[in-house]
Amino acid sequence: MVILIRRRFFGTKISPNSHRHKLQWSVKQVTKSNFSDSLQEFKSHLSASEFVAVSLQNTGSFSAPWNRVSSFDSPETAYLKVRRAAERFQLLQFAICPFTISGSKVTAHPYNFHLFPRDELNTGMPSYSFSCQTSYLTAMARQGFDFNACIYDGISYLSRAQELAAKVRMANPINLNHVVEASSSPPTVADTVFVERVKSRIKHWKKSCTDSTSKKIDDALVKSLQKLVLGGEQYGSRPCMTIDVCSERQVQLALEMLREFFDDLVALKIPTKGGGTQAVRVVLTSSKEDKSLLERELQNAEEEQNKKMRGFREVIELVSASQKPVVSHNTLNDFSVIHSKFIAPLPLDVNEFLNSLQSIFPHIFDVSHMMKGIGPLENVTSIPAAVSYLKNRFFAPVEMELSHGALLDESKIHGRTVVRICYLFAKLCSVLKITPGSIQSSDGKVLDGYANAFRSCSGNSEESLDGGIRIWTNSPRKVDCKDLVFLWGFRNRLSAGMLKSLLQGSHDVFSEEFDVCLVDKSCAILVFFHPNLSQAFLDVMNSEEISGSLSELVSEGLRAADYDTYKRACSLGLWETDLASSLDKASATPDRLSQSDPETKPAEIYWCNDLIINLDDL
Amino acid sequence: MNTTRHWPQRAFILSRALSRAFSDTPSPTFPLKHVTRSNFESALVELRSHVRAADFVAIDMEMTGVTSAPWRESFEFDRFDIRYLKVKDSAEKFAVLQFGVCPFRWDSLKQSFIAHPHNFFVFARQEIPLDRTSYEFLCQTTSMDFLAKYQFDFNACIHEGISYLSRGQEDEARKRLISPKGDQLTHPSHNLRETTDLPLVRVADVLFTERMKKRLGEWRDDLLQNRVGGPQEEKVPDDLNQQFRTVFFKMRPALSLDGFTSHQLSLIRMVTRKHFKDLTYVCFNGESTSEELVVYTDSESDKARLMEEVKTDHQRRAEMKINAAVGFRHVIDLLSSENKLIVGHNCILDIAHVHSKFLAPLPSTAEEFVSCVNKYFPSIIDTKILLNADYTLQRKMKRSSTSLSSAFSLLCPEIAHGFTRNVLSYEPCVKVEVHVDEMRSSNWNSGAKHEAGYDAFMTGCVFAQACSHLGIDFQLHSPSENLTQNEKLQKHMNLLYLSWINGDIIDLRTGNRSAELSGSNMIRKPYRKILFKNILLLWGFPSKLKPSMIRDCICKTLGPTSVICTYGIDQTAVFVQFSKAELVSDFLNLKETLEQSNDAISHLHPLSQLLEGGNTHAASYETYKEICASPISKVLFADQAEAVGIKWKTELLPSDKEESHDNTRSHLESAMDSPQAVEKSKSRNTEDVVNDSSNKRFCDDIIDSFLKVEKIRRTTNL
Repeated sequence: MVILIRRRFFGTKISPNSHRHKLQWSVKQVTKSNFSDSLQEFKSHLSASEFVAVSLQNTGSFSAPWNRVSSFDSPETAYLKVRRAAERFQLLQFAICPFTISGSKVTAHPYNFHLFPRDELNTGMPSYSFSCQTSYLTAMARQGFDFNACIYDGISYLSRAQELAAKVRMANPINLNHVVEASSSPPTVADTVFVERVKSRIKHWKKSCTDSTSKKIDDALVKSLQKLVLGGEQYGSRPCMTIDVCSERQVQLALEMLREFFDDLVALKIPTKGGGTQAVRVVLTSSKEDKSLLERELQNAEEEQNKKMRGFREVIELVSASQKPVVSHNTLNDFSVIHSKFIAPLPLDVNEFLNSLQSIFPHIFDVSHMMKGIGPLENVTSIPAAVSYLKNRFFAPVEMELSHGALLDESKIHGRTVVRICYLFAKLCSVLKITPGSIQSSDGKVLDGYANAFRSCSGNSEESLDGGIRIWTNSPRKVDCKDLVFLWGFRNRLSAGMLKSLLQGSHDVFSEEFDVCLVDKSCAILVFFHPNLSQAFLDVMNSEEISGSLSELVSEGLRAADYDTYKRACSLGLWETDLASSLDKASATPDRLSQSDPETKPAEIYWCNDLIINLDDL
Repeated sequence: MNTTRHWPQRAFILSRALSRAFSDTPSPTFPLKHVTRSNFESALVELRSHVRAADFVAIDMEMTGVTSAPWRESFEFDRFDIRYLKVKDSAEKFAVLQFGVCPFRWDSLKQSFIAHPHNFFVFARQEIPLDRTSYEFLCQTTSMDFLAKYQFDFNACIHEGISYLSRGQEDEARKRLISPKGDQLTHPSHNLRETTDLPLVRVADVLFTERMKKRLGEWRDDLLQNRVGGPQEEKVPDDLNQQFRTVFFKMRPALSLDGFTSHQLSLIRMVTRKHFKDLTYVCFNGESTSEELVVYTDSESDKARLMEEVKTDHQRRAEMKINAAVGFRHVIDLLSSENKLIVGHNCILDIAHVHSKFLAPLPSTAEEFVSCVNKYFPSIIDTKILLNADYTLQRKMKRSSTSLSSAFSLLCPEIAHGFTRNVLSYEPCVKVEVHVDEMRSSNWNSGAKHEAGYDAFMTGCVFAQACSHLGIDFQLHSPSENLTQNEKLQKHMNLLYLSWINGDIIDLRTGNRSAELSGSNMIRKPYRKILFKNILLLWGFPSKLKPSMIRDCICKTLGPTSVICTYGIDQTAVFVQFSKAELVSDFLNLKETLEQSNDAISHLHPLSQLLEGGNTHAASYETYKEICASPISKVLFADQAEAVGIKWKTELLPSDKEESHDNTRSHLESAMDSPQAVEKSKSRNTEDVVNDSSNKRFCDDIIDSFLKVEKIRRTTNL
């Protein structure tokens, strides 16, 4: 009976095969052609919403298995890994969804922006080239992604840093009327000569302009002669004159002198491509009204151009200006991409990155981190898995209401992940008993443990786990990075278990408890659960008195390095295909890192046998 | 999920065809033969016969980009080996999206060539998991934008492109797919998992093994009884019926095991091996899934036979899988094995792509590359060489640009513009009839420029016409005659422009390089000889310094005639060409001393302007090579140098020994090191100043305009 009712209830709406019938949400697709209209719409949706969810589609994430952020990464190395990915790959879709939670109802306005970097100024900006991982592209193709639409019609952008650089190169005239400062140094003779000469030229030119307009000379020959003699030109429909300058000092002098003409003259700075000043152009206006009209025109033109240069970044600026909390599923990845594409190149240091990000997006929520507040969920990594996990365990009805209505046409499916994030976030808030209203009122303090989560959690993905997990996983242990040793140069296709049994009994250090797991096919991590043994082992490896089976392994090529070597490999950008070759190179380079930074904080990671399973299916 | 695809490939081809049909030309329009995954098998069969019959095959391709950084573009100051490194970098980093193949056959009855333009969409997928590294390629944004402008169908490429394996990858795949598992099947006792008996620790395991032993024994006994009494309905307990199904495997009764965990399967495997001599455990890899079976065998010999059968079966399957994965490389193998004359237009980059994608990773030197290419493709003709080398063709071309599209419209106006034969025209054009599937046309024009297939067709037409101008009369041409042996073509055969900018030509047969024949191309200015020993590389200087200012700065210290010219690599780096080789080391030593002493005098030194910021690096030309050879590509040269790992700020090379070593290393340079050459360079002094001040990289406008064409051609493969 129950089944019957269910079927009737759903039967009219959905196809019987669809498992995700509830998630057939329609997302507004935005390309170059409808960008400016959608931007207005987005603006109003944003201001009416409490939160903003984001989800990104990139052309790749990691080139080699070990380049992926793993649980043995410290925040520094995790950041270096995502930094490399963000710089290397391109962002093609940016799904963003302002939403509001009221009770069990979520009102969401999902947008999916198609992006493509266009080098419109021929300056290598926003990007000269980018990498693509074929597996990513084929996966996108399987979902019906339209690459033509993306490349033909994707919206371009410039980051904040790039916009500044572009402005210098564009060499647009800049209105100088409002930026006059008194000169600091007393005028020299040369200065006076320069000022007098320019002054007389301007007077002359101005007089002739006003005269000629009053007399209305229509003779083309006379006009062109006048132009030749006086050096007058046209700026739009208005007459103008160019004053050549050789230095910034002369610009200053010219402006000071021009102040007495500011009633009807507008001075423009003509910059060189390198950022200096080439000339000052003076435009004559017919009246006060005409002057303000010209100034407005100039301002509008500049704004228009800025808008064009910013492109999609306008959306990011709106979100940043709104100061609304941003929700994402994979914050470290997503925000490193956002920072590198829309703000500025990623800094080398993770803390610098976090500070910079903090100033742009003060409240960030990571749903996967929030999931950890629920319990030990080592296998719930994807959003659909998280949703179904919550569905099976908790009663937390969430009703979605989308601004763009139900799914009408299949082209609107792209970027639906962002709606799932909204849904998951709302469910989590309900399960974790967080009332969304309180987030606003107390400025995010309720969610303090969750907000800006990657500050604490990057890498330490198993943080909130505690004992009493399933039989096959031991409880994760806090492991000091000092107790980790990287091993490579062992035989090919050796499993972690075999390596462990080879090591067991090869030396005294292995008499205490230790563990081994493979990072990739070339390299393994060795963890000592007793302090100082790692150093002892490294010392043995470096000494000449190796004996027994260990010496046999070493003669086969076994090598070992500490965690600092791994860090160095990451920070030197030695992203070889095999971690072994990266470590080889890193140990060959002198240890500059630790010398410059002697008191590196002892980092800790969480060791858990589960890791072995994760890494094997890399 | 994947039932409908929303990509407008057909719509594009159609719209292209339509727009062409309604525009100026009356020529019949039908699209090229587009080949994707779905029609590759049949197209390959056809292509085989076309290539076999062809007199020559024209090729062309579209890539995702050309240069991975601005400073990797072709420069005048690139030495021969550097030029190869730049080509190598490009071919290694970018992907081929489209491959045009157009076989041309002379039909003596029709007195015309028959062309079959094919346009292959190519996209490398990881169809066989070779290793865990991902396939990755670079896209240059300007190139992608350019392709988009010409309505390139990226969807067709990524959704439906044909994948491929290089020869190396194929061998690797063979090793992986065929041998290891085959061993496992033939010698099950050598398998590690087999030999180590699973310790039955858990009670559940012990119980499971006992049950399986019983179950398999029952099945076997049942089987033997049935054999006597004829086939009967089996009586199997209901709960196990799902997991054990009696099937026939290779004409033998077998139990198909379904729904067991891998741990349980290994226990069953152990039980089979330990307790049943006449049962064999077989893991059978089907199309998509693998099946686990326990097979009954009559005797030991029957068992061996079964293993052999399974093994061959497995190998055949793997072979098929690999064969399918080789995909587009079959076309390359076809071109190579048929030994046909390959025709391309400015095709060094194309050939390098073919080498790195389908043959083997590119070798580190041009000489090795060339000998390898010559082995696979013994005859290649570059139409750009042909057009520039021959005087009659030069005249024909009216000395206009030798880009593919302009050559095509000048040499083959009938095809390009659909003109009907001019009665007054005293030089008849070579006729080309195009066949695409069932459609044929003698004045075909698809209008789809920058489709690789169409570009290949244009290249072939230009070649045919050029041959006719060279005095090769196709009407007297007999089918048995081989174009590769034609003496009129011999002097152009297997020559490629290593760099068009410098007119540097490489001979594929010998690896010898030569400058373009002087006077052959009247438009081009003769190249100045460059003494690479005299060149200093500077980078990381204050960004406000322009190349001309750097020149002035150095002239103030080393004398007004010390610097011949400066040449900007990008905004962060310049070459300084000195008049004498010693000046390079002089400068390096001076820089070193200035940077070490920190007194007031060094701050007043004219060079201090250059060293400001403390990040100015200087090195000899060899460092440039080192930087170019690196697989890294940063956008700015200074960043690149840092990424390559250059720690020092000044490279010191004071020893004479090294210099003499240098000489032997590059004998050609020293050959140029004649007084005349130096004289020549000096006389160009004033001109260089002009060049520097205008901040132009190249000597004169004509070359400049050439370069533009060249650059477009290179980014677009025009």
